[in-house]
Amino acid sequence: MARFHNLTVTDIHKTIRDAVVVTLKPDDASAFDFTQGQYLTFRRNFDGEELRRSYSICAGKDEGILQVGIKRVDEGAFSTWANTELQEGDTIEAMEPMGSFFLPLDAGATRNYLGFAGGSGITPVLSIIKTTLAREPHSQFTLVYANKAVNTIMFREELEDLKNHFMGRFNVIHILESDAQEIDLFTGLVDEAKCAQLFKHWIDIKSVDTAFICGPEPMMLGIAKALRDHGLDDSQIKFELFASAQPGRAKRKASGKAKAATKGTQAVITLDGASRTITMDADTSILDAALANDMDAPFACKAGVCSTCRCKVTSGEVEMVANHALEDYEVEQGYVLSCQSFAITDKVTVDYDQ
Amino acid sequence: MSDMKIEDYLAQGGKLSNPSNVPARYRAELMRLMATFVDSELAGAAGFADVINAGPGIKERIAAAKIVLEKTDNADKVLTIMGDFGANTAKYATHHPWTDRLARDADIGTARNDADMRLAVFNYPLEGWADAVVMNLLMGLAVGVQLDEFARVSYAPLADAFRAIAPVEARHAELATEGLERLDDAPLQASVDYWWPRVAASFGKDISTRASQLQAFGLRHSTNAELREEWEATAAQALENLGLNAPKG
Repeated sequence: MARFHNLTVTDIHKTIRDAVVVTLKPDDASAFDFTQGQYLTFRRNFDGEELRRSYSICAGKDEGILQVGIKRVDEGAFSTWANTELQEGDTIEAMEPMGSFFLPLDAGATRNYLGFAGGSGITPVLSIIKTTLAREPHSQFTLVYANKAVNTIMFREELEDLKNHFMGRFNVIHILESDAQEIDLFTGLVDEAKCAQLFKHWIDIKSVDTAFICGPEPMMLGIAKALRDHGLDDSQIKFELFASAQPGRAKRKASGKAKAATKGTQAVITLDGASRTITMDADTSILDAALANDMDAPFACKAGVCSTCRCKVTSGEVEMVANHALEDYEVEQGYVLSCQSFAITDKVTVDYDQ
Repeated sequence: MSDMKIEDYLAQGGKLSNPSNVPARYRAELMRLMATFVDSELAGAAGFADVINAGPGIKERIAAAKIVLEKTDNADKVLTIMGDFGANTAKYATHHPWTDRLARDADIGTARNDADMRLAVFNYPLEGWADAVVMNLLMGLAVGVQLDEFARVSYAPLADAFRAIAPVEARHAELATEGLERLDDAPLQASVDYWWPRVAASFGKDISTRASQLQAFGLRHSTNAELREEWEATAAQALENLGLNAPKG
């Protein structure tokens, strides 16, 4: 299983008013040999509660550094902390790079790539662009980059530098939601219709081998539809979605005094929006009790290994006899493996929908 | 950014790409789908490992050993994705006796056994080399149809994995065809009659209670019946080319 490592912040600077670029030096460099387009998952305690957030690497493979971009989101505890408090010299914890938002590169290939980025969705795409242009000297890359206004464009200068450095092989089309530009086409949202217009005169879609998309949900849907309508198949479209809704701050479990259930336990089990109340004994797992009552509860291994049967205990207490899959922070939030959990209070309430 | 709910995004064909924002029920259904594949591959490989030495010649044994290797490797590709969600991959691969089989005449329909998620068909024992190759052909073609379907799932890393796995599995079905062409005097039709309904059952029941939810999550696109009918047509043709018959009804 992936585990957390310590990294030291060696540089942190703003790229726009509310986004920072953080350069990191891992204690164990070999664990952070990333592939372009991958992300890091960080963890940090906020008021005694662990939060985990994933941010994409923006550095290219050949820059010899590990760098992520973090845009501040409203009410986002982690991104606000990174933008206001994190400093050079601080230590931060992250898991090894993960994600499959990339394509294997081939130095001999002559390919035509198309990238779409919305706002901070530029971070993994930037890593892909830098690495691809450096390692596939015959390939070309076109980036369609959507932002609210000129002053919210992350990495604007860096992209200009790339254009000059890889003269003729890299092209950027900035689409701005609110700032008017000389060409009407470049104002507004990047949606299905906008793509269709771009494909008419500005981008030779028939020559595109692979497209990368990273942005908010509606933008991804519109672009993917336009790409499919213009002949790309699913294997040619690579997605990365970091929904604005990375799960919010978890609520603490109300803690109650545990006592062994003697007679039957009354269990309220929520699944797919419906709650059922059943009576179960102390020797039956929550999962088996749900299954015995014809509830279609999820499970696979029944051995506490795979975590398919994860549910959340929202009241009462259970004893989880084995756990090879959930991590401490999940357990603290009230998650249990229902195949390994037995009621120890007279009443328990569990929820498979959370 | 956007206020679109993940569920709406998925219902409109959106793709997810990492564990950080999958809804709880989506996570569970995705894990169940992956476990079904991993368990079936591990159980299939384990069963086939036992017949390697029953191969009539060295080429056949090489083919069988290659199939065992590659099915195990395919299981690993998907198990790695389960690991991204927290599954303990090292324990998972060894926590269960994958060679366990029921009796040849057990009739379990589409039911799973109690302790793993392998498709029902992988609970039946192989009976010798020719029987194993017939099963491998029919199931190999079924896996081909199923992988076409699952290469469209809304979890992009899994769709990528299935696209990489599909040609490997397709080759296994080809090896089975080549194997059967060399076995023309064996009583193959009896094995076809035995495995046909059992492989057909691996497509699941025609009426599935989860179908609409899986569809809304973008984890399924075709119905069980549509996939099974596609397999029936492909498999019947493959059998005909070998001078064998698909059982009627």
